Amino acid sequence: MATVAGVNVAAVKVFARASEPSPKSVSFSHVNNPWRRSACVPIRKICVAAAPDKLTNKVEESIKAAEEACAGDAVSGECAAAWDEVEELSAAASHARDKQKDSDPLETYCKDNPETDECRTYDN
Amino acid sequence: MAVSTVYTVQSLNSTCSISTPSKPFSQKHILFFTTTKRALTRSCRQISCSAEDKTVVIGLAADSGCGKSTFMRRLTSVFGGAAEPPRGGNPDSNTLISDTTTVICLDDYHSLDRTGRKEKGVTALDPKANDFDLMYEQVKALKDGAAVDKPIYNHVSGLLDPPELIKPPKILVIEGLHPMYDERVRHLLDFSIYLDISNEVKFAWKIQRDMAERGHSLESIKASIEARKPDFDAYIDPQKQYADAVIEVLPTQLIPDDNEGKVLRVRLIMKEGVKFFNPVYLFDEGSTIEWIPCGRKLTCSYPGIKFSYGPDTYYGHEVSVLEMDGQFDRLDELIYVESHLSNLSTKFYGEVTQQMLKHSDFPGSNNGTGLFQTIVGLKIRDLFEQIVVSRTAAALEAAKA
Repeated sequence: MATVAGVNVAAVKVFARASEPSPKSVSFSHVNNPWRRSACVPIRKICVAAAPDKLTNKVEESIKAAEEACAGDAVSGECAAAWDEVEELSAAASHARDKQKDSDPLETYCKDNPETDECRTYDN
Repeated sequence: MAVSTVYTVQSLNSTCSISTPSKPFSQKHILFFTTTKRALTRSCRQISCSAEDKTVVIGLAADSGCGKSTFMRRLTSVFGGAAEPPRGGNPDSNTLISDTTTVICLDDYHSLDRTGRKEKGVTALDPKANDFDLMYEQVKALKDGAAVDKPIYNHVSGLLDPPELIKPPKILVIEGLHPMYDERVRHLLDFSIYLDISNEVKFAWKIQRDMAERGHSLESIKASIEARKPDFDAYIDPQKQYADAVIEVLPTQLIPDDNEGKVLRVRLIMKEGVKFFNPVYLFDEGSTIEWIPCGRKLTCSYPGIKFSYGPDTYYGHEVSVLEMDGQFDRLDELIYVESHLSNLSTKFYGEVTQQMLKHSDFPGSNNGTGLFQTIVGLKIRDLFEQIVVSRTAAALEAAKA
């Protein structure tokens, strides 16, 4: 239906704008080039590992920035906003750590591509 | 015909969605067929479909790092199915979708992104950083059965991403810092919950969460909590007076001078007189009970378990409070406790225990937080089913009249 096509087009646009390569964009090229299947999974692994490192650096930087902001005036709005940013980034880092803990690369790949040979299940 | 429609609606997996596409056809049929009997069944099916199209909205308020995600996972599990981010969409989306529920994070309605808030010197807790008009508009649209294009707040980059399409679900859960802050949104909620974590417990949980992170120290965690406290007390905390259920987490009273924060005392404060919501009680509704299950029939390890139940007032409302202090160590402790609680809205004996065991790896699975979150989840399922039945009954009455 038109709505579904619209979402897909919008999704592709989002990936084009995103600064880091999203694992999902690999699945589009897979549909057109099925022999590239084996190349998809290692790329996906690298993408998943990158996020927490980037976030860890962001958390460190934000803590330093917050300490500087509050050195001047401990009750100002800037100080509160800076520590709020630290809190937000710490929460995001902890969620990313939890997601990474449960994700199994084969399971995540098979969720989106159940028809591929690696992911087929036989019930009889 | 009318009776069979009622029965299909009662189950969560109803077949009404199949007949919905026939709505335009049924409209044509009403025009063509003038027999009253035929028109009645057609209009009944149409009206019962539209009664089911009206979404049930649940609000969940809590500060960051207080167990909202864990609660969401338990809640979606009670309804069946796992909630996942929308397929093929923005990977940093905060929305979770399962068969029956959609969970929307209210951070998506931030009007200022991270740089904007830094410039203005406001925290995310401040109402100035949130667009309540858009929140009200979209929650109302979803409740009335219309799809919306909801913005996405990317927590990694701190920017507002392009919107994603959200289709109206059977149950919509809005979770975040301000679900009950705006009065108009508050009136749209069919049920609301507030997770009230005391300062000592919050500090202990944040230490557990953040000490693994490079760059954090005890002082930075403490400074972060202190800096956010004024905004939290001014804008978030007052929402607890509007909640239908409050889960309050305090340090234990069973261990003197405990500062580890492992054993918790959890209170489930349930408002009386809420439509379709019957508070859980212990032994005798409306009386005051203190109960220590450990004894001859049940052996518990230190520090044991202590329950209490009684009526109380909370911010001027009549409430019933069920309290649990201590930890579960074994399966039979859990089933023993479950068999003595009443009004749990379980569909079979041992459902609470089964749900707790299914998620034994979640934090809080061995104490009151997991237990009360599971119980509230079952209560919400019961509330949903009662709302659907009452709407269908009202629609049938209107059709007959």
